[in-house]
Parts: sequence; structure tokens; C-alpha cells
Amino acid sequence: MSITAETAKEHAHDPAVLCCRAEAGITIEPANLEDPAIFDDLVDSGLLNLDGCLTIEEVLGAKLTKTCDSLAPLTADVLDGVKAVSAPVAEEAAEAVVEAPAAPVAAAPAAGGTLRIHIGEGKDIDLEIPVGALGGGAAAVPVAAPVAAAGAAAPAAAEASEEKVVRSLTRKHYTITEVKRGPETKIEGTTLYIREGIEADVIADQELVKDFKLEIITPELYHTYSETVMDVQPIATKEDDADLGTGVTRVLDGVVMMLTGVDEGGVQIGEFGSSEGYLDENIMWGRPGCPDKGEIFIKGNIVIQEKTNMERRGPMAAHTAFDVITQEIREVMKKLDDSLVTDTQELKQVRRPGKKKVVIVKEIMGQGAMHDNFILPVEPVGVLGARANVDLGNVPVCVSPLEVLDGCIHALTCIGPASKEMSRHYWREPLVLEALHDEEVDLCGVVFVGSPQINAEKFYVSRRVGHTVEMMDADGAFVTTEGFGNNHIDFASHIEQIGMRGVPVVGMSYCAVQGALVVGNKYMTYMVDNNKSEAGIENEILGNNTLCPEDAVRALAILKTAMAGEDVKAAEKKWNPNVKSTNVELIESAYNKKIDLVDNEQALPMSEKRRLKYS
Amino acid sequence: MNNKRLNYGDKIIYMEGVVVDIDDCSISVDLKGRLGFFKAPKRMFICDTEPKVGQEFGWNMSFPEQLGPEVNEHYVSNIEKERRKQQEMSKRLDDNKEV
Repeated sequence: MSITAETAKEHAHDPAVLCCRAEAGITIEPANLEDPAIFDDLVDSGLLNLDGCLTIEEVLGAKLTKTCDSLAPLTADVLDGVKAVSAPVAEEAAEAVVEAPAAPVAAAPAAGGTLRIHIGEGKDIDLEIPVGALGGGAAAVPVAAPVAAAGAAAPAAAEASEEKVVRSLTRKHYTITEVKRGPETKIEGTTLYIREGIEADVIADQELVKDFKLEIITPELYHTYSETVMDVQPIATKEDDADLGTGVTRVLDGVVMMLTGVDEGGVQIGEFGSSEGYLDENIMWGRPGCPDKGEIFIKGNIVIQEKTNMERRGPMAAHTAFDVITQEIREVMKKLDDSLVTDTQELKQVRRPGKKKVVIVKEIMGQGAMHDNFILPVEPVGVLGARANVDLGNVPVCVSPLEVLDGCIHALTCIGPASKEMSRHYWREPLVLEALHDEEVDLCGVVFVGSPQINAEKFYVSRRVGHTVEMMDADGAFVTTEGFGNNHIDFASHIEQIGMRGVPVVGMSYCAVQGALVVGNKYMTYMVDNNKSEAGIENEILGNNTLCPEDAVRALAILKTAMAGEDVKAAEKKWNPNVKSTNVELIESAYNKKIDLVDNEQALPMSEKRRLKYS
Repeated sequence: MNNKRLNYGDKIIYMEGVVVDIDDCSISVDLKGRLGFFKAPKRMFICDTEPKVGQEFGWNMSFPEQLGPEVNEHYVSNIEKERRKQQEMSKRLDDNKEV
């Protein structure tokens, strides 16, 4: 199919290939050329060879000297009057600019060069970050900061209004070094005692719960066989009945709640497949949603009524009953003396008027059963007072960043282990933290939106997302999702709905090989892949492919670039992990800070299962 | 499609099947032509309307190929543990029912 002059301009640096047979003597126009979007497939299948092929901008206006068939790549030997190539916008420029931060140059438009960053995702992307103060003036002021911030001198351009602290949240940390059973639930020093016989209360709490066992897993017991991990939760409570996201939250360090379960027939509660096996071989330590190495797990194994493992009420009952234990610990925590506080942390919700306003849209599972989330409980990651996302119709729910970090999501999610965001993930959500602390953007809030099963409902909710973002007057947005499958349809639709309103959107998801996107649209130009696995697959290691700080940093860099109106180069067709490492290196140089990449499954003791998978 | 471990990965066949069971998290499908049965998470099915028993689905698939003769003992042991546990728990369940 021939292309228009507009498309030809967009693809000026792409290969020029004839779309249909052309006679010798004609002058090449856009109408003679094929759309470069289809070349990847043709090259893959061997139908097209682009060696020596000229670019569209070179051939336009040139004269064809030989009659050629359709899909013939245009090379210098069949053309007369080939134009010279325009400025090679290539790597040399990047190197020149990367140096810039080292020398604290004044805000003057340094070399007028551009920093070209290649971002890797299921798609790959190139960034151009303006150097210095963007002498051209086309882009808005705040965006100049990526480079300026790296220099020692503070960017003098801080003409924007002062930061405004909307509210703050204090986390008081209490360290626990030992968990024991005892006659009553209490905390003495750094020892947490859990009442013997509490199991009966858990069983009595829900009709569907038929049996329950509690285990205390200390680091020496990490090599223990376990059922699929359904959730990992922090143990936290509000002081003086404050609302989530405000006041003081007390949290226990060194210990987490871990829920596992089966039905009476011994069938796992969990979607399919699972991360059952030895804990130390199946958990990616230190992921935002996972336990950290050295922590003690209070692990509950719930047995629910036969055959309710695939029904919505089954996993809901398991989560609700397990919360009986957490709640009893919370009650004890409320009475703790301040002398036991080992660390205090203040989280501030800061608004930065005048800076680019960004919003984070987090798509959460809402197809039903364990694809659900309890939203806004009374206690952090509690159950009481929360509404299930599915019952709310999966419509967007706006929350403050501090509510997210204070456990406003109790995740029932039981999708593939590697990409699921467990309750603890929200408690330590890296993108919210990075955006909140980034002085160059104004994070206005977080929107949670469920992913329903049916397409009609998917588009219903994504249109709501579009309007929500529109009325926020956001300058940029992030859309994140967990897992993969039909939720990528609404993920793409959210991006479209936001993008069509002229707001640049960065999409974040696990994609790589197995999670390749189902659909796309023209607004999906800025994508960040959360993959960490070596082979780009769902490797059944808990939390392995979830959003980590390194992904948040890349997403922020790309969104800032996009908001500045800079070009982002189109992605490579196939997943290429090198793109990510190249980008990280470039961002490191531009910002003059080290980005520590997290480990992947290669750092775990190699189970036979994985050895075979990767050999 | 171009996975190096597959020898016949490019043989893609259009398949159809009938939904025989739906629960809150999965859909079960009988493959037409007596070619088997599968059950997969709901999120892997793309539906314009509410999925119902008796509806037909279509998809492309290929042939599963053995990746090698090795038996992974870890999987075997997991399967065995699961099987034993299910057997024990079902037995207990039956015993309770008789009481």
C-alpha cells in the first residue's frame, strides 16, 4: 500500500521500498513507496532484503533508472539524483551530551546537542533529552532539569512556586527478631508472641474455612516446602484510628504475613500452576512485593471448602479469615510503648505547582475470583471496611500516593507468580515513591482501575480513565499493569484514552517474550518492560518480573522526555534485553547517579526445575 | 514462533472448541474433533460478551513438542507430593462425610 507525504515525512529515515511495479524514468514520490511498518515481518520471513537500501528522505524526488517490481528495495544503482542524508542524529551526539553533566556547565544551550537514549521494552525506544536549559524554548522549563540536576549547582530556574506539603504520614517501625507461640498474643521487646489456639478463631471466622495451620518460618527454615504463596503482607496498624494515608502508622519490621492455601481436596487455591516448592528457590527476595532475606514469615495455610478454590468466595474467605491473626497482632501493636520504636520515617505528599503534573494509573486485576483486590480497608492491608474492586464495577478509584504506601490495596491477586503484585508491593510501590520524590514532577495522585473480563466492560472503564485524567489536567501519565493476558487489552485502551487527549503516556508491564502485548495503538509509543528474567518468561519465581525501582527510574526519564516534546524512536520489533541496559547506562550518565539493578532468578539456589529450563 | 527449541513451531493451525465449564477464574474448553480438552485462566481468553457454556471459541495453536528426554525430578516430586496430599485430604473428607 502506498504512503502519504505525511507518513513519508514520519518515516524519513526508514528504508525506501517500492509498493508496486514502477517504470524506469519516473520520479519517486511517496505514492510509490511501501509503508515501512510492515517491513519487519517481510524481513523476518525472508521476502525482503534491506541491504544497501536507501532511506525515504534520500529517494524522494530521485529518478528511477530501471523498471522495478513491487517490494523492490530502492538502492543507489537504480536511482539517479539521490539526496544527501540529513544530519545523522546518531550516537556521536549521545556521547557528546552524556559528558555534559560532569562539567557543571551553565544553563546555556551547551552544544545544542541531544542526548539519545535507547529504551528497551517489549518494544525499544530512543529518548532525546535536551541539554542545558533547552535554549530553543520549545519545551517547558522543568524538563531541563534531567541534566541540570546532575550538576552540583541547583537549577536556578526554580521560578516555579514552592513545594506544598498536602499531608504527611509517619511510619513508626518496631523491630521483631523472634516470633513465638504463647498463651496470649503480645509483643515483648523484640519478640512477638502469637496466641496458641488462635487457629480455632481463624477457622470459626468463615464458614468456608475448614482447617488452618500456622507456621513460623525463620531464615533457617527457608528451605521448606510450601504451597503456592497467595499473598505477602506487612503487619501494620493505624495509631488513634487515623485514616489510611494520614497520621501515624505502626509497622513491624523483620516479619511478614504469608498466606497459602488449598481446598479440602488438597487442590491449590490459585489460578493455575504455581510457585509451590521450596521457599528459598521460589521467592525473588527483596522485590517490593516479596519478603526480604532474613525476615520471619508468619505463614498460614488455610483449607477452604471443597471445590471453592476456583470460586470467588473461596479465596475471599481465606484472606478474610487469615486477617483474624493480623488483626489480633494489630490490636497489640496499638498498645506498644514508643520506647520500642526503632526507626521513624516521614512520608510527605508533596505537590509542586508549576512542575509537570503527572498521574499514575495502576491497572489491577478484576476478572473475578482471586483476580480481585480489596480497596481501602480501615487498617493497612486489612479487610474490614474495604470494597472489592469487582463489586465496585472495576471503575477508576482515585487515591492519594500516601494511601497507596499505607496499604490501601489488599491484593487477592493470584495470577502468575512472577508478575503478580502482592499486597506488600503497594506498601513499597517504587513508581509512587520515585514520582513523589522527584523534584521535577508534580504527582497529583494515583488512580486504580480494575481489569474486567469482558471487552465491553474493559472499554467502559477505560473511557472513565480517560475522562478522569482529562479533568486532572495532567501533563503526563503512567499506566501500569500486572500479569499478562486479556488485561493487556484494557491496558492498551487506557493508554489510548489518555493519549488521545494529548497527554503523553508511559506504559509499564511485564512483556518480554511470553507477555508480548495482544494489541497496540498509536499512543503506545513509550513503553517500559518490567521483565527481569533471563529468558523473558514467566519463570514461576515469586515477584521476579514486578515493577522495581530501576523500572520506575526509566519510566520517569522517558515520561519527562515525552512531556518535553522530544522525539522517541520507535521500538525494535523483537524483545531485546540489551536495550534496557543501554538505557540504564545512559540515564546513569545523564543524571550522574548509580542505578542498582536488582537480581533475577540467577541469584537463587539453582533448583533442578530451573536448571533444566535454562540449560 | 521462532523459538529455537521447536522444530515445527511454524506449523500454526486454526482450532475451535466449545466452552463446557466456567468458574470464577477459569474457562474449560472441549476441542472440536475429539482433540482433547483444556482449562485456562479467564484472563487468557478474549471475550466481547460474557463467556457462557456452549459458546464457541477459536484460536491458533501448534503442536507441543518434547523439549528433551530428561525427567525433571523436582517436578516429579512436586507432583507426587500434590497427589499424596490430595489423596489424604480427600480421604479425610470422605471419612468426615460418613460420620
